[in-house]
Amino acid sequence: MKEVVCKKEELSPGNIMSTNLGPIPIVLCRTPDGEFYAFTDKCVHQGAAMSEGVVCGAPAPTDTPGEYHYVKEGEILRCPWHGIEYDIKNEGRMLVDPNRKLGNFNVSFEGDDVIVSTRK
Amino acid sequence: MAESKKKRPIIDMDIHERVTYDELLPYLDNPWQRYIKDTNWVQEKHLPYPILGAAGLDRADAKVPDGRPAGNDLSFMQQQLLDDVGHEAGILTGAGDPSPSSMNGWYEMAVALATAYNDWQIENWLEKDDRLYGSVHIAAQDPASAVREIERVGSHPKMVQVLLPIDDRPWGDPYYHPIFEAAERHNLMIGMHHQEPPNYYGKFPRYFVEWHSVMPNTHMIQISSMIFNGVFEKYPNLKLAMIEAGFTYIPAFMKKMDQQYKVLRHEVPWVKRMPSDTVKDHVRVTTQPVDELTKDEFLKFIELMDSDEIVCFSTDYPHWDYDSPFRALPPLGEELEQKIFAENARNLYPKLPTKVGKVTQ
Repeated sequence: MKEVVCKKEELSPGNIMSTNLGPIPIVLCRTPDGEFYAFTDKCVHQGAAMSEGVVCGAPAPTDTPGEYHYVKEGEILRCPWHGIEYDIKNEGRMLVDPNRKLGNFNVSFEGDDVIVSTRK
Repeated sequence: MAESKKKRPIIDMDIHERVTYDELLPYLDNPWQRYIKDTNWVQEKHLPYPILGAAGLDRADAKVPDGRPAGNDLSFMQQQLLDDVGHEAGILTGAGDPSPSSMNGWYEMAVALATAYNDWQIENWLEKDDRLYGSVHIAAQDPASAVREIERVGSHPKMVQVLLPIDDRPWGDPYYHPIFEAAERHNLMIGMHHQEPPNYYGKFPRYFVEWHSVMPNTHMIQISSMIFNGVFEKYPNLKLAMIEAGFTYIPAFMKKMDQQYKVLRHEVPWVKRMPSDTVKDHVRVTTQPVDELTKDEFLKFIELMDSDEIVCFSTDYPHWDYDSPFRALPPLGEELEQKIFAENARNLYPKLPTKVGKVTQ
């Protein structure tokens, strides 16, 4: 399945939008470096629409209590309900459990058209 | 929401409606109205850290589309929760924030706020949707006024409980018993929902994740206070709904209280029954925030409670730790699911009809 979902300029870097690939609700993400990523629009935890969530960064793990390093600004997608974090640039993997991830789709381009397709 | 849904009766024991102080003003007389208007006064919150959900306290997608805070608009709540999930009934548990019962001093203002809140709740929520049932808010630190307020609105057909915050007061203290007597007189149960500060004596742990992990501790303090102060012997028709600490602490707590009672009952001779039996007959707890269990784990907890009537479903809408009726619990079989999602709550609140109507608005 393959579908034009929007024009490139309709989604600015650091933002997300909801769209559909046929009957499948999709969250389309554009990271601050301009790259596009597409995932199923459903949190694997309790099913909230990820497109209603927020794009942000996250504190990196540290070895010292009280120490914070905020990283990946614009590359983390947080669920609108329980705040579960997914790494947009790492196949939509859950930060706290990388074995779990959002469903993935291919993103390609034809001119300014953004095309989402199922993976083969 | 696109996912397929298993249609079943749902009685949701924790839905938060939200008021702004501006909306309460028409329900307040002077000088209370002037005190708020002239100084832009709002009661101070105490939480020393942000709630680190995606959007703070609330679901990020629950903000009212016109910009008002989540829970502030009936039609949006109907659309996003009641209609979408297909609620048969929901119990409103919002309040002034913090609750009037949490106010330190200035009890007169707390009483005025509780009264205004109840009138606002009845007019704007309870009388506009047949599915919604309410909680009587009181200033419990002034029991005489609290009793007057229960007498004033407790007979409203859609008020089902008196709501007390889980705070720095163990509510079993005989000082508060007139409140329970009034509640029982009006066929109201006692609902307890945590407020701020949530821990005994108002102390906070260093991190929110600690606080959110130990909420059952504060619920245990309240349950043991009610049981060992003899509340349920004194008011045999009264029941207690403990809202928003899950249920998995209950089996161990029942065991512990029974063991303590066997050896230390001399201190509380007015307590005539095993605490676990009192829990089974008088205490109900909500699933939310759910401990994520497999079916086998869930059933084991039910077995250890020796009752499938204690656990009731709640969403906590619109807060960040909302539990989906379709995803939060594992499949449990039709009989148990019916009890948890509706029948246990229906049996808890005698003022809930056996069949609830549809929206009339």
